[in-house]
Amino acid sequence: MPESHASYSSHKSHETHGTAETKTVGQLNDELLSSLRAPTRRWYLLAFFLGAVVAWGLFAFSWQVTHGMYVTGKNRPVMWGFYITGFVFWVGISHSGTMVSSILRLSRANWRRPILRAAEAMTVFSITVAGLFPLIHLGRNWTFFYMIPYPNQRGLWPNFRSALLWDVTAITAYIIGSSLFLYLGMLPDLAVARDLSVGWRRKLYAVLAMGWRGTAREWVVYHQASTLMAALIIPVAVSVHSIVAWDFAVTVVPGWHSTIFPPYFVIGAILSGVAAVITLMIIIRRAFRLEAYLTPLHFDNMGKLLLVISLLWSYAYFVEVQTTWYAHEPIEWEVFSFMAGRYTPQLLIMLVGNSLLPITAMCFKGLRRSIWVMLVVSLMVNVAMFIERFLIIVPSLSHKNMPFVWGSYSPSWVEISVNLAALAGFALLYTLFAKLFPIMALTDVRELEVREAHIPLGRTRLPSIAGKE
Amino acid sequence: MEKMTSPYKWGMVIDLDRCTGCGACVVACQAENNVGICDKKEISEGRNMHWLRIERFWLGEYPEVRVRFLPVLCQHCHDAPCEPVCPVYASYHNPDGLNGQVYNRCVGTRYCGNNCPYAVRVFNFYPHDWPPPLDNQLSPDITVRSRGVMEKCSFCVQRIRRAKEEAKGEGRMVRDGEVQPACAQTCPAEALVFGNLADPQSRVARLSRSPRRFSLLEHLGTHPSVYYLKGGGREHA
Amino acid sequence: MEILGIFSDMESAGRGVERLVRAGFTEAQITSLTSVAYPDGVLVRTEQRSWFRWLALAGGIVGAGAGFCLAAGTAWLYPVQTGDKPIIALYPTGIISFELAMLFAIIGAIVGMFLEMRLPPLGKRLYDPAISEGCIGISVSIHTGGGVMACRPGEGPGECIGSIASISAGEQQSLAEGIMREAGALRVIAE
Repeated sequence: MPESHASYSSHKSHETHGTAETKTVGQLNDELLSSLRAPTRRWYLLAFFLGAVVAWGLFAFSWQVTHGMYVTGKNRPVMWGFYITGFVFWVGISHSGTMVSSILRLSRANWRRPILRAAEAMTVFSITVAGLFPLIHLGRNWTFFYMIPYPNQRGLWPNFRSALLWDVTAITAYIIGSSLFLYLGMLPDLAVARDLSVGWRRKLYAVLAMGWRGTAREWVVYHQASTLMAALIIPVAVSVHSIVAWDFAVTVVPGWHSTIFPPYFVIGAILSGVAAVITLMIIIRRAFRLEAYLTPLHFDNMGKLLLVISLLWSYAYFVEVQTTWYAHEPIEWEVFSFMAGRYTPQLLIMLVGNSLLPITAMCFKGLRRSIWVMLVVSLMVNVAMFIERFLIIVPSLSHKNMPFVWGSYSPSWVEISVNLAALAGFALLYTLFAKLFPIMALTDVRELEVREAHIPLGRTRLPSIAGKE
Repeated sequence: MEKMTSPYKWGMVIDLDRCTGCGACVVACQAENNVGICDKKEISEGRNMHWLRIERFWLGEYPEVRVRFLPVLCQHCHDAPCEPVCPVYASYHNPDGLNGQVYNRCVGTRYCGNNCPYAVRVFNFYPHDWPPPLDNQLSPDITVRSRGVMEKCSFCVQRIRRAKEEAKGEGRMVRDGEVQPACAQTCPAEALVFGNLADPQSRVARLSRSPRRFSLLEHLGTHPSVYYLKGGGREHA
Repeated sequence: MEILGIFSDMESAGRGVERLVRAGFTEAQITSLTSVAYPDGVLVRTEQRSWFRWLALAGGIVGAGAGFCLAAGTAWLYPVQTGDKPIIALYPTGIISFELAMLFAIIGAIVGMFLEMRLPPLGKRLYDPAISEGCIGISVSIHTGGGVMACRPGEGPGECIGSIASISAGEQQSLAEGIMREAGALRVIAE
């Protein structure tokens, strides 16, 4: 891509003014679009490795389809296991982009700019991965189309009273909504990429950029549309995870039938999502050498966000257990004491990873600004969140109302493989995305440069940003 | 959209005082309904296919040990938790008061199995087959389910259908005692009584008015069609 | 007819716009082409109001209706009794209507946005890839005929394009080109 600059180098490169380390726009473009260069051997190696894990997961899944559900660890009474755990986990991660990106857009926080694209892309890919799990866990996967509402000759529509159909509707709405949100955010960047590339890439970006020129009127409408979309996508995200929570809360299963589930799941999703954004930011920063753009300040602020959400999650969990403990309703309490007894190490990891570690570590500015600490904390949060989903789903099913049919559950190699393949599939989609599309909100980041100035105030000069946010 | 009603409201009364725990009903159910035969491996994994199970509870210490038997089958709840949660209407409520399971509609989400508080729904984790000549024992009135499909006690709906067809052909209602599910037919102690609860003179309706009557998990408000009569025997001494 | 001048920085572009306005071109005729957004008035002034949000609202209403028809309508047409729940149940209908309302509102917002921006362009529009490198494009749309054109709401006929449009297109073009080059344009592109 640097080659394409040759024809325009006849003019003096436009210089930005105000920043201490003056970078030309060309340099900014180069750095922020560096991921779009031709793939290196390392990239191919990574893509190949991830593709291999995905292929293994596909093999495990096809093993299940051809042999039967007995290859999983499910039984009577635990009829949902690792697949639904994975489903809820990935739906939770999909709240990353929406919450981080939308809320920061609407609150006009300036530090959002380098983070937006990564978060929005994460939402799209994680909800795509999540949407596969309801198809994977079916006993007769090949009849999945019974759940799609279309006029047919069977004389039957799907049952909209079922929470699973609410799932189908909500996830469809969310996939489309978040994809459009991502695309909208990318529109001006695609125009820049179009102008700086050649060959098939140029054609691709030209089609996607829809002829964007950046006229003043286009910018006005674009900003209004971005704000509107950010406002619209938040209720969709909240409703999606509430509906997933209702999959459990509307049942009569002890331990599931709890009104706190929807808000509890949404909070857990935000926690999971914020941690995932932090992890991804650290990876992107390292992989594409964007240290100048993702500074410790950004991690500081994300760490504060993590602290708040972790406190909320801890509050919700405390409330849930406390009411169960105090009322000591026998069947519900049996579920909790079974969980605490049989899954003690997992429970402890969950409490440490979700509550103890984030709350203590994120109180300290020094720790928030340390990349290593943030990586460890964010990874621990997501490990703990996966365990949390598991501990919600399996113990309640294991010890239901009739003690004669109490059971237990261990995941089989098929379920573990499919979940690992889901993670690899998400990473692969992300890797492909980062290679094809700008991974950082290019025009958003550059927008600040234009309006930056150093104003003499009193005895010193201070940086300021002109105009409203 | 008119509400579908029916003069029948099938129900069952299980007298726990009479039940000896012999298990003949379980075998009869398996034979009548083409229930898959499970081997030791399947059962130890928790994947048995019994539509009807005899729950066994031991009381006391040796040598004063007593045992209680509780046959548990699909309760055919009037407010069944398993019905609204099926995304494809494979589980629905029949005007006769039966909880129906449509095998060829089931996609296998297993939500109904989770939501059944009595855990009476079984899922075909394994494919079950009857290599010849074992297939000669299969009942032609009922399908053989493929793997990936939920199934459960249907009050031997194939027998009910046949009785209703015969009665309709003769222009009358089904008589009390004319239709018997396999378990009720087989029980040597006559602990299981089946009939039309809507007919106040039927044997099952009269038994259901007994002061010994109770239902399982009444606090959940599922309004089952299966009533149990408390045992008054020595195990309560 | 459009004429596009490419400037290397904000100051020269601003100078160019000022001189164009003083020469008789109206604000409505002049727009900027930039790769990042500049606040209103820094380079040009534009209409801040937009109508695409009505399309989002319309989408929302249509979606709510569609969701209602899907959840309640299909249940009413093909009633199957499940549990003790009514055939047309309040909460499921509400949930499905909400989801489809939001989906259609989002789609309406995007479609409306593109419609209002008039993208993808049907005809050829002037552009220079240097704009992505940080250059600023100032585009002047030239109208002839002396009639009232391209008015913003609230403007009287006298404030709209008036006297400048009485000059022929070619003369307007060379006038605009001259002004922009004088202000420091790197190059001027005409159709």
